Amino acid sequence: MSEALLSTKNKKIIKDGVWDTNPITFQILGICSALAVTTQLKAAIVMSLGLTFVTAGSNVVISLIRNFIPPQIRIIVQLTVVSALVISIDQLLRAYMFDVSKQLSVFVGLIITNCIVMGRLEAFAMGNPPWKSFLDGLANGAGYSAILILIGIVREIFGSGTLLGHHVIPASFYAAGYVNNGMMVLAPGAFFLLGTIVWIQRSISGYKES
Amino acid sequence: MNISSTRYTFIFAIIVCVVSGVLLSAVSEGLRKQRELNEELDVKKNILKAVALRDPISPKMKGPEVLKVYGSKIEELVIDARGNVVAGKTPKQLTGKDKDLFPLYLYKEDGQLMAYAFPVVGQGLWSTLYGYLAVEADATTIRGVTFYKHGETPGLGGEIEKEWFQNNFKGKTIYSMKEHKLTPTVVVKGKAADVVSKDELSYHVDGITAATLTGKGVTELMARWITVYDAHLSKLRKI
Repeated sequence: MSEALLSTKNKKIIKDGVWDTNPITFQILGICSALAVTTQLKAAIVMSLGLTFVTAGSNVVISLIRNFIPPQIRIIVQLTVVSALVISIDQLLRAYMFDVSKQLSVFVGLIITNCIVMGRLEAFAMGNPPWKSFLDGLANGAGYSAILILIGIVREIFGSGTLLGHHVIPASFYAAGYVNNGMMVLAPGAFFLLGTIVWIQRSISGYKES
Repeated sequence: MNISSTRYTFIFAIIVCVVSGVLLSAVSEGLRKQRELNEELDVKKNILKAVALRDPISPKMKGPEVLKVYGSKIEELVIDARGNVVAGKTPKQLTGKDKDLFPLYLYKEDGQLMAYAFPVVGQGLWSTLYGYLAVEADATTIRGVTFYKHGETPGLGGEIEKEWFQNNFKGKTIYSMKEHKLTPTVVVKGKAADVVSKDELSYHVDGITAATLTGKGVTELMARWITVYDAHLSKLRKI
């Protein structure tokens, strides 16, 4: 029973992760990191890449051994795989991309605790073959990244007046009495933004609370 | 095979542990040398940055150049708790056991002493903060500070690694000639100019919005290490 790499079913997996069951706006997972690392766009981008990579990678590994994992200890096994993957990445970065690893600092560790990773392992990779699981991980990572980057852009522009560290709000605005919105730098600012994004996304996708 | 049996569960758990354990040790061990090289280079880069030698060193400067500048301009010393130089010891030889010995770095330009630099370490909100503080040859004025390793929240406490925060320290004095006492730098809540009097501005710097506790950590580590190194610096200060 061979299937095209990007069959209709597989395309649906991608669409689900990015849009219909977006991990943040639909499943409301990964909120903690969406609040914590989005004060600046750069941090949001790096976190997004890291999470997408780990979700896709651990989905594949778990999917490969899914039929051998004893059900009683499956969560621990999943966690071990995720941790091993994250620590290896951290070590590689430290050895070959030292500056990047310094910017990441605590984020790498935070990926282990991100609910999206374990959520996808438990909900998808435990019951689906590797390629599908890989797509699912990639799609959910992309869905997470899109929201994170969106929040990062808004928060950095309005909270610090910069984008990727470059000043984007002209000095004349400040001269005219404009001030950066302090709330955007704090977690509540991200909460309001997130709420608005969830609202907009759900009204477009037609999601109904069951 | 029954994958729910206790026996199988144990065997599987052991296999997972061994495989991931071996894998992680192999990765860690295989990359150790490269990692240590990076860390050493990073320390040297930061000492150069603290003594403001960074301008001739563009951030893109490659490792070998950093080592060359460091080797020709920085002299490494070790001092004891009373502030005396310990002959024949280098900072590299210090281990965790040497609690009363402290590394000190001298920046010399053509044999003339320009600045002193020493490490500052302390607790922030979530993590340990690592940095270097450089003091001018007068042993009183701060030449520069750098925080290069920490695990504070990016955008909040993590701002301590940014230029704007570190630049605030430049020109502050760690000793009051008027009152003849040590004045370690204090990070205030809000803008220093709004909080303290004009006289006290010489040792207060602006805080970071929403990172009061990280600022407190910086204040504490400044007080601690400036006191430790004052044992040596006080001998050099002309009062």
